[in-house]
Amino acid sequence: MTTQTTAATTPDTPTAEAPRGLVGLPESTGRALATAGGVLSVISTFLAWTWTAEFPGDLTVYGYPGGLQVLVLVGGALTALFGLASYGIKGLRWLVPAGADSALKLAALGTFVTAWYTVIAISVQLGGVVNLEPGGFVVAAATLLTLLGALALPFERPEPDPFDPDDTGWEQFRHKARHQAAVIKAAFATGPVKAPARKLPGFAEILVIVAAMAIGLLVFTYGIGTEYDELFIGFLITAGFGFAALFKAGLISRLSVITGKHRNVTLIGAFVAAAAFPFTQSDDQYATIGVYILIFATVALGLNIVVGLAGLLDLGYVAFLGVGAYAAAMVSGSPSSPFDFQVPFWASALIGAAVAMVFGVIIGAPTLRLRGDYLAIVTLGFGEIFRIAVLNMDGTSGPDITNGSNGISSIPNLNILGFDFGQEHTIAGFTIARFANYFLLMLLITLVVVVVFRRSSDSRIGRAWVAIREDETAALAMGINGFRVKLIAFALGATLAGLAGTVQAHVTYTVTPEQYQFAHVVPPNSAFLLAAVVLGGMGTISGPLVGASLLYLIPAKLQFLGDYQLFAFGLALVLLMRYRPEGLIPNRRRQLEFHEETEAPTVLSKAGA
Amino acid sequence: MNELPQQLVNGLLLGSMYGLVAIGYTMVYGIIQLINFAHGEIFMVGGFGALTVYLYVLPDGTSMWVALPLMLLAGILVSVLVAVGAERFAYRPLRGAPRLAPLITAIGLSLALQQAVWAWYPGGEDSLNFPQIEGGPFEIGSVTIQTGDIFLFVVAPLSMAVLAWFVMRTRTGRGMQATAQDPDTAKLMGINTDRIIVIAFALGAVFAAVGAVAYGLKYGQVQFRMGFILGLKAFTAAVLGGIGNIYGAMLGGLVLGVAEALSTAYIADIPGMAQFGSQSWANVWAFVLLILVLLFRPQGLLGERVADRA
Repeated sequence: MTTQTTAATTPDTPTAEAPRGLVGLPESTGRALATAGGVLSVISTFLAWTWTAEFPGDLTVYGYPGGLQVLVLVGGALTALFGLASYGIKGLRWLVPAGADSALKLAALGTFVTAWYTVIAISVQLGGVVNLEPGGFVVAAATLLTLLGALALPFERPEPDPFDPDDTGWEQFRHKARHQAAVIKAAFATGPVKAPARKLPGFAEILVIVAAMAIGLLVFTYGIGTEYDELFIGFLITAGFGFAALFKAGLISRLSVITGKHRNVTLIGAFVAAAAFPFTQSDDQYATIGVYILIFATVALGLNIVVGLAGLLDLGYVAFLGVGAYAAAMVSGSPSSPFDFQVPFWASALIGAAVAMVFGVIIGAPTLRLRGDYLAIVTLGFGEIFRIAVLNMDGTSGPDITNGSNGISSIPNLNILGFDFGQEHTIAGFTIARFANYFLLMLLITLVVVVVFRRSSDSRIGRAWVAIREDETAALAMGINGFRVKLIAFALGATLAGLAGTVQAHVTYTVTPEQYQFAHVVPPNSAFLLAAVVLGGMGTISGPLVGASLLYLIPAKLQFLGDYQLFAFGLALVLLMRYRPEGLIPNRRRQLEFHEETEAPTVLSKAGA
Repeated sequence: MNELPQQLVNGLLLGSMYGLVAIGYTMVYGIIQLINFAHGEIFMVGGFGALTVYLYVLPDGTSMWVALPLMLLAGILVSVLVAVGAERFAYRPLRGAPRLAPLITAIGLSLALQQAVWAWYPGGEDSLNFPQIEGGPFEIGSVTIQTGDIFLFVVAPLSMAVLAWFVMRTRTGRGMQATAQDPDTAKLMGINTDRIIVIAFALGAVFAAVGAVAYGLKYGQVQFRMGFILGLKAFTAAVLGGIGNIYGAMLGGLVLGVAEALSTAYIADIPGMAQFGSQSWANVWAFVLLILVLLFRPQGLLGERVADRA
């Protein structure tokens, strides 16, 4: 309520000064500078930045941007576009439904950070600024000017917040710091959506979705294909700021309105885009990464049913993946399996899923009657017990079932209807090899999980899950059978993980107990799975997929993190919960829940407007 | 069957160590209904704190009778600092957030602490030898007590008595009880609940550090991952005894310890179970016990409060 009244009075109160930017330049100069700077940045990427090819990516060629230059090119182009759009040029207005200024600022900042990161990396690695060619200086200056220009754009400052004179110096300092932070936040805040969405014909909306999917595939493929640390960091910077800029421009929300309208088209589009990925690759190297990401993401999505929808914290989820993988491995005809027979894949997939479900019920039935915290610790225990039990069932310290720490190895490749997954196949002129085959199979499993997730979350039972998550007592009072509903969520999650495990066993050739620890450097493991869900956004479909991709690529690409990776990961989890508990792609309802005080008024005013 | 008294003593010793760590879980849970997953790591850093004093502060060859109190002090100091820091910077900002948030924070914290020790403690990647008290094992009747266990034998009952006195007799202790029963009313009665929560974390850390020194003396080594399984078992002990009840934590620890000792001693004698009696399966049996308790008596042995508190 309070915000509403202030919002109503603000226009009436005479402000002492006109709105100004963070940098003291006139608005027109700033805008011109930002736009021109964006164009200049683009041009500068066609120059040589350094004299030697020792810096990876070969930035020495005139007229042919490479490596990090491409990223700056994209950033600069985006900045220039937003700059032009901020002049209200007719053809570009669709780009900025929510105002161009904050998007321009973010794009400029992203380009600046990427360019300066590159220039500094060159100077540091090659030993000194002398290694820069003129192009390097040009791009540094151009992006700096762009940033200064963009920051000169005016914005609505928050109310000045006078401090209590009785406060101690430290408290005053903290007070001022908080106000400064609020000002900077306001500088990047997006304005209200001005133009109502123009009605597009149905086919145009579908075209928009297709274009978005294509861009998504392009970005993802580029990210997977980055070959050295610097390029990947640059990619993360550019992609992160670029996405934020698009978000501030209002494009993302417009897109989500469109995708929300055509959910089936979106699903099929995403599926086709993902299926196209192996065909864009000339060899199997990145398909390998792709299939591991897909396994990770699928399991994370399954976990999201349990954690995100039903609000049950499952800390031993990877054990269900392990159950499925072991079950499939044992009936795969592997020589180290105790059972000497082989069943077709459809049967082993069913067996793996069923066994995982049985374990899910065994674990869930006693614990789900109690408070959620018990489930957390019991699943944590189960995850560890699974590992210990599998490790010990080697014939000496236990029955001979799982072959102990050596695991079940030489799992044969799948052969479905004569299609041998171990062989290369040529489809329509494209060669797809072993991992690409599995990528496509895994994609099917992902599709199954996505459909199960979507259908169940929209159904009666999905609403019951959300009700239980929000307030169990109230949900029970409304006549929901809490125990049964929770057990379904838990068992369903376990089943889906088991299903994914059956494919994983074949992809990795070998299943060992060490793959299914609580925390381990290689995803998927329970801690990383949970983090993928939390980072991406609980209760959404795209959230865990994005989260899993990031969590897989960051450790895989940034080799220098090495030993400190898990430490950084733990710390990141703590910070994430502190500052953005709703994740990168928040579920609307969840976001409100996490930011009760701050977000609620804006919703009120939006509803009023 | 004359090894029964021996197994009982072993179990009681092991169990009192579980109990010491379980106190931390149960106190924090009793007051803010949070499972502090990082408690196992608070236990672990206590062990490393004690070891640091022995390795790097005291001159070589210091008698354990001199070193032990100092090590204990250092361990307690490190544990308490970490616990209070975690409370202040990780948990407190999340008070009032949905329940999942602090649990995930706790997971992150636990990983970060483990990895910090692994990465930065000299030699922390492997198990580090913990100094031992000189002197051979003691024989009381047919029961043998290892020297390392003497510490546990003395300190565990003592800690329990001190804790009981503190919670029951002091003003702060009664404040803790009041906060556990009803935080809002306790606040109205003039209790500084923020302080009480910090004290609960700190007290839990003290006992965890004592437990960690006992662990070091008992097993002769400390390791960065030792808090994980032990924390899990201590939590099992807390649930077993009735979470939120400090006597329950100790009792649950003892029961769990005895059960574990007996499982390693006797399960192998059951026909067909010969292979399941080894030490590595003991963890599995402890976990099975947890499931059984949750199934049949979820409020725990001494718990009066219903497990599902609205």
